[in-house]
Amino acid sequence: MHRLEVRDLVMQFPAVTALDRVSLSFKLGEVHGVIGENGAGKSTLMKILAGVQQPTSGSVLLDGQEVRFGSVRDALRSGIAMIHQELDLVDTLSVAENVFLGGEPTRWGMLARSRMDERAKQLLKSVGAEFSPRAALGTLSIAGKQLVEIAKALSHDARILLMDEPTAVLTDQETASLFDLIESLKSRGVTVIYISHRLSEVERVCDRLSILRDGVLVKTLLRGEANQSEMASLMVGRDVSEMYPSKRERNEAKLILEASEFIVPGFVKSASLGVNEGEILGLAGLIGSGRTEFAEAIVGARARTSGELRVDDISKRIRSPKDAMRAGIAYVSEDRKGTGLVLPMSVIENCTLANLREYARPLLQKSNERAAAEGWKRKLDIRAGDMRAPIATLSGGNQQKVSIAKWLETSPRVLILDEPTRGVDIGAKREIYSLIHSLAESGTACILISSELTEIVGMCGRVIVMREGATVGELNGTDATEQAIMRLAAGVTVA
Amino acid sequence: MKKVLGFLAENGVLVALIALVIVCITQFGDTFLQPDAIRNLFSQASYIGIIAVGMTFVIMTAGIDLSVGSLVALCGAVAILTLNKLSGGDGSESVSILLAGGAALGIGALAGLFNGFVIAFGRVAPFVVTLAGLAGFRSIALVLGQGGEIRSQTPSFQDIGFGGVAIPGIANQAGQPVVVYWSIFAFLGVALLASFMLNYTRYGRYVIAVGANERAARYSAIDTRAIKVWTYTFLGALVGLAAFFNAARMNSVGTGSVGLFYELDAIAAVVIGGTSLRGGKGRIWGTVAGALLLTLITTMMTWYRVDTNWQGVVRGVVILIAVLLQRGSKANDSN
Repeated sequence: MHRLEVRDLVMQFPAVTALDRVSLSFKLGEVHGVIGENGAGKSTLMKILAGVQQPTSGSVLLDGQEVRFGSVRDALRSGIAMIHQELDLVDTLSVAENVFLGGEPTRWGMLARSRMDERAKQLLKSVGAEFSPRAALGTLSIAGKQLVEIAKALSHDARILLMDEPTAVLTDQETASLFDLIESLKSRGVTVIYISHRLSEVERVCDRLSILRDGVLVKTLLRGEANQSEMASLMVGRDVSEMYPSKRERNEAKLILEASEFIVPGFVKSASLGVNEGEILGLAGLIGSGRTEFAEAIVGARARTSGELRVDDISKRIRSPKDAMRAGIAYVSEDRKGTGLVLPMSVIENCTLANLREYARPLLQKSNERAAAEGWKRKLDIRAGDMRAPIATLSGGNQQKVSIAKWLETSPRVLILDEPTRGVDIGAKREIYSLIHSLAESGTACILISSELTEIVGMCGRVIVMREGATVGELNGTDATEQAIMRLAAGVTVA
Repeated sequence: MKKVLGFLAENGVLVALIALVIVCITQFGDTFLQPDAIRNLFSQASYIGIIAVGMTFVIMTAGIDLSVGSLVALCGAVAILTLNKLSGGDGSESVSILLAGGAALGIGALAGLFNGFVIAFGRVAPFVVTLAGLAGFRSIALVLGQGGEIRSQTPSFQDIGFGGVAIPGIANQAGQPVVVYWSIFAFLGVALLASFMLNYTRYGRYVIAVGANERAARYSAIDTRAIKVWTYTFLGALVGLAAFFNAARMNSVGTGSVGLFYELDAIAAVVIGGTSLRGGKGRIWGTVAGALLLTLITTMMTWYRVDTNWQGVVRGVVILIAVLLQRGSKANDSN
């Protein structure tokens, strides 16, 4: 029997149709993957199922009965819970308090703390967590917090769990134990709806998977029915055999930017790099190795206590991103929501924000701004219905392209790209790669920061590796393999 | 229904203003439709209005300025003291008055610069910094006025308050021409200038960016601290301007009483006008309408002979309704 079903679901936003007559069913106790490019409608589907959004038309059926969720609470009451990508917990409360937040067990109107701890303990055990229910949530790792979220969902007797990119923030080992947990939930009859970009994971964990493209359901497959590259082709609607543009031989090296002996208290102990004209330099390292903070210090977004920065062999004083921009250095942030974009502002306004001086003479020339933004839209294939709509209405990949366009506007000589393909679908990824490639081709010095080693190896001719706040090594050409980078990043001594 | 609510929330202040005007016309047609009654309405709105326009920018940067009421007293005191100092000399009275105006604007801008500097570079919350200003500026004014009123010795100073441009062909019931006061021109001029700054200058765009996401603005090569300092300085100068007109009208400044609760009225006008207290979103015409609406309500309450003790309740209710309506529109358009 189908436990949860959606019929002819349509979600219409002012700029785009996020879902277009999607009909899908989820069976009892199955793990059902939902994959698709960014903007394909996965998140919208999840939000409708979780009661965050209401569809424009179409229906949701639970056990054959049509249901309408006006809120997350409604969905929870029907046993559907969402495990958020950005965890929705309170750091200062205990684990047990988080599990029962909003549904605390009481006795005569008072918190029944011991009963709460006891029940939390059972729930934590059932998700394989080993920490105490009394521990402060803030002391847990991200993986631990995720387990708390799952326990919280189970405390509401959730029978259907929606997981949105649950492994994005986990290590390999944590991912493996999450998959074990999913197996065990499945055996208890819990349905898991699993969204991910990582095709290898989807292949490993899902019984069935549905592919969305541009808001339309392309196909639902059984496990093993398609391999990863076939899945990828179905997602983008074209063949994605060649991911990375071919590398180019550098002939003469002209050093543009040199950062030496940087120290940022708490993050960077000793980091140096130099980047040449027309080069793509990789900056690799594990999460927390200080890559981002090093880059932020280079553009003056973060204060450094020591270190020298030279541009064209002249020492420069850069104390803010504004100084950096004047020196021709641009930093495309990894954190689009926090530091990369001003979400309530329009696509056009975000495009011209860093280079607004060019459009003020002295009054803002709005038609010129618009023309410039339209130009980037064409050049970078930004999919946006209304360029005057807030940029928050765009999908992640398109937001990322605007984020890059904002800096290309300033015609930088050095472009630092921090995780430029995070949360971006395969199609847009490829476009971003070829964009970086052509920028380098035209002489821009590019620094690519990434956690994806395949990306670093695929794109960069030279790689600098950071570990624990220090640059620990440099790998060139064919020496820059994933294994070699990993050894440096993790500090394994080569035998 | 959603659409109606959305429209009301977006343009609530205009709808309310028009509704009240209609009520006034039907209820008090004879009193309300007099040219000098309408002139007085604008005149009363102008002092708060000038300040509220500057406050709109401050609130759009997600800031607040509680010190404006006390600053009105300080700027007014400085204006009249300057005038009295100069009036004994040989210079013409109009030059003295101009200098007094310059002093009021200068002190206002200086106080705003101080607020902005501490907020931007000292990284202290605007609420706290300007709360200190609320206490401090009033205190300095009281010291200057020895706790009481400072009177001007230049009778022609009142021309600034009561002078203006007579509208040809329009007379009041007594047959005298109706004079549109300078303060009204200042209010509308300041509003036009501000509206222009907001929509057509880099500064305006940066104010929105800083208010919507200060970190992203800084990462986008915007000097966010300079934007904040300018914003508080601009407000301070406008407070000086309002104080100058206020002092001229009375030809004196009661250092303990003038400007009391102006900060609340100015903030109320901004919020009623649809500017978000969380920053990043605002409009000048809304603030202008908000200031007019508040003044009209006060006037109507006088006409209805509402006990002055109760008037605060009515104003409070109006502010709450305005904010609740905005909340409603946010819930609707959040996708």
